[in-house]
Amino acid sequence: MPLIEVKDLRLYFNNGQAKVIDGVSFSADKGQFVSIVGPSGCGKSTMLRIIAGLIRPTSGSVLYMGKEIIGPVTGISFVFQDFALLPWLTNIENVELGLSRFDVPDDEKKRRAADLLDKFGLGGFANDYPNVISGGMKQRVGIARAIASEPNVLLMDEPFSSLDVLTAETLRGDIMYMLNSAALSVNCVIMVTHNVEEAVEVSNSVVILSNKPAVVKEIREIGLPYPRDKHSEEFLREVDQIYATLTD
Amino acid sequence: MDFASLILTLVLSTSASWARMFIALFLSILVSLGIGIYAARSEVGGRIILPILDIFQTLPILAFFPFVIFIFVGVLPGFIGINAAVIFLIVTSMMWNISFGVYESIKALPAEFDEVSKLYGMSTFERLTKIYLPAAMPRVVEQSVLSWAIGLFYLVTSEIFSTGSAVYQVKYGIGSQLTQLALGGNTEGYVLGLAVFILFVVATRFLFFAPLERYVTRYNAETQRVEEPKFSDRVKSSILHNRLIRVPHIVIKMRHKAGSVARRSIDSINIHNGPGRMSAVESSIKRHATLIAVVAILAVIAAVFLQNNLISYEAEALAALAISFARVWITFAMILLVSVPLCIYLVFKAKNSNSYLLFFQVLASIPATILMPIIVEALKGYPMHNEAIAIAVFFLSGIWYVVFSIIASTKTLPASVFEVKKLFFVNGHNAFKNIYMKAIFPGLVTGAVTAIAAEWNASIVAEYFTSNAASGGTVLSAVQYGMGKLLDTALSANNLVLMFVALLNLVAMILIINSLVWKRLYNKISVIYS
Repeated sequence: MPLIEVKDLRLYFNNGQAKVIDGVSFSADKGQFVSIVGPSGCGKSTMLRIIAGLIRPTSGSVLYMGKEIIGPVTGISFVFQDFALLPWLTNIENVELGLSRFDVPDDEKKRRAADLLDKFGLGGFANDYPNVISGGMKQRVGIARAIASEPNVLLMDEPFSSLDVLTAETLRGDIMYMLNSAALSVNCVIMVTHNVEEAVEVSNSVVILSNKPAVVKEIREIGLPYPRDKHSEEFLREVDQIYATLTD
Repeated sequence: MDFASLILTLVLSTSASWARMFIALFLSILVSLGIGIYAARSEVGGRIILPILDIFQTLPILAFFPFVIFIFVGVLPGFIGINAAVIFLIVTSMMWNISFGVYESIKALPAEFDEVSKLYGMSTFERLTKIYLPAAMPRVVEQSVLSWAIGLFYLVTSEIFSTGSAVYQVKYGIGSQLTQLALGGNTEGYVLGLAVFILFVVATRFLFFAPLERYVTRYNAETQRVEEPKFSDRVKSSILHNRLIRVPHIVIKMRHKAGSVARRSIDSINIHNGPGRMSAVESSIKRHATLIAVVAILAVIAAVFLQNNLISYEAEALAALAISFARVWITFAMILLVSVPLCIYLVFKAKNSNSYLLFFQVLASIPATILMPIIVEALKGYPMHNEAIAIAVFFLSGIWYVVFSIIASTKTLPASVFEVKKLFFVNGHNAFKNIYMKAIFPGLVTGAVTAIAAEWNASIVAEYFTSNAASGGTVLSAVQYGMGKLLDTALSANNLVLMFVALLNLVAMILIINSLVWKRLYNKISVIYS
């Protein structure tokens, strides 16, 4: 059974006058990194929010380990494009928020959050507010918060698009490591992106969407071995193929 | 009086009141445009005007009303004098937030606009009509809606104020009309008058302000759709460009200060021991100069007091201040107890909070002072009912500032806050402590400042009104001690010196609270939320 199964998802507004998503199906298995690519404004982020249980679709369904998602579930966590750190909480308090679902004493939450921040190289900024750290650091806090809730599936909404190129590169490495690390709970990542190179670099499977309404144009499996050489001929061919499908 | 003529009288009185309001609004906008544009365009102007505006919007301006009446009625002939006093008072209540609105919209203009105007050789007049006025108008109208509600409180109150005394009587006005009806025991007339009043409020909102809003924001719809403000900007703007409530200038100043500190540190890196250091010395001199000035002023005041044997007046003023102070802050605690849960419900829980808000807006536009007869009737016979009446009026005068300020500041909360709450299962006490309370805090502080100023205003009325009603022959309620009571006593005794001493104490207290409480809280907010 796939971890996440999206079945004929549709999202309509105005009684079907405006179609945002019009029949999207795909699945994500254990150990998989799935990217969803598509033009800006095609409803990718909305789809991710439906998978997270934040928005209800008009029809179709999302199954998590065979059970239909009707609201947020504890096995799925989320990383935001704009980080979505609460500005009035310190970095460590933001990570502690990710531990809300666990019924453990506050001291234990503090300890776990501090551990995670250390792991992401942010130990020195635990008691700062998010407004004093850089975008890359903020996104690390955002990822630490998502990991803190010990998710099985990690959903990421354009997680690197508001970061500079170098920072994004490092963070992508971190995410790949997490997916393969036995010590962490994450077994599957679904990422929304408009950056085709990024999708080819990290994913086993790329879901290519069309614009308005979003329908699946192709689901492309990428079999290249990791780590991938971004200048290799095979890599560039995959990128070209996806661009061709996108602009088709 | 038969029904038709009663209605006619009520409509005419309300129209008279509304005429005062429109004159006051027009004057407020004129003055605000002048002040706001000057403060934004001139370095010196900004430095002088902004702190003054800051102080004035936390002062209970009504406290000066007895004094203002005294001056105006003395200088101008009866009918004109009292009306000029009332309009002057309404202007002083309306103009502060409009001025800040003008200042901020001119400040927010991109520098390119100025360059364009220079390139095309625009005259000052052209610059005014082609750039500054169109840029300022949306905020002017937006703030005028708020000013109207604040002005209504002052209008009605100042009309009531002057009801008792024959010398200072405002003829033709819904405030004085309603008071007379209530004092005369004409319940139907009073209720009818209230209905006419509310009708006028609603009509003004929909027939005057709504078209005006549509007109001045006709360019905005386009740009808003294109721009997608960033998360931090959105949070910042929620604090700084508070939609419904007067923007606390202190917050902006703090941010400017933070910016200049950063700039200064950059300067000192670039030019070691250069201007950076000079400015440090300069600022320490400035600090000491301020301290010396304050001490000097205090010494002069003390000397004047001792010289003229004003110690007994001072004692009287302090006692009255202490009692009113206790009333104001006890009521503020009650306001918090009601408004915080209410706002958390409206912001985070309620499904159709907009329809609640519309109801609250109408409710809030009814000045608490106009409801005094109802409150008096409702609380009649209870122990300490005089205090209870005063506190009820304080409460109604202050609570809406807190509620609307919180609602306005949380309106721009990013959707992701709600998503984070759901995704990470933040519930119960955890949500209350880490999300609800913290999210409403900036709005709460902004609202608190204005709410407390409003309470002080109410204290002047609530205490004054009662004694005036007594002089009219009916004792509605009589609070024995307090600042408003003291000011009233001083006015009726023509004791200008006592009035002056009392006002001096009141202003000093407000300034001390500003720097001890509000500035610190604003500082805290600007560190965290921006």
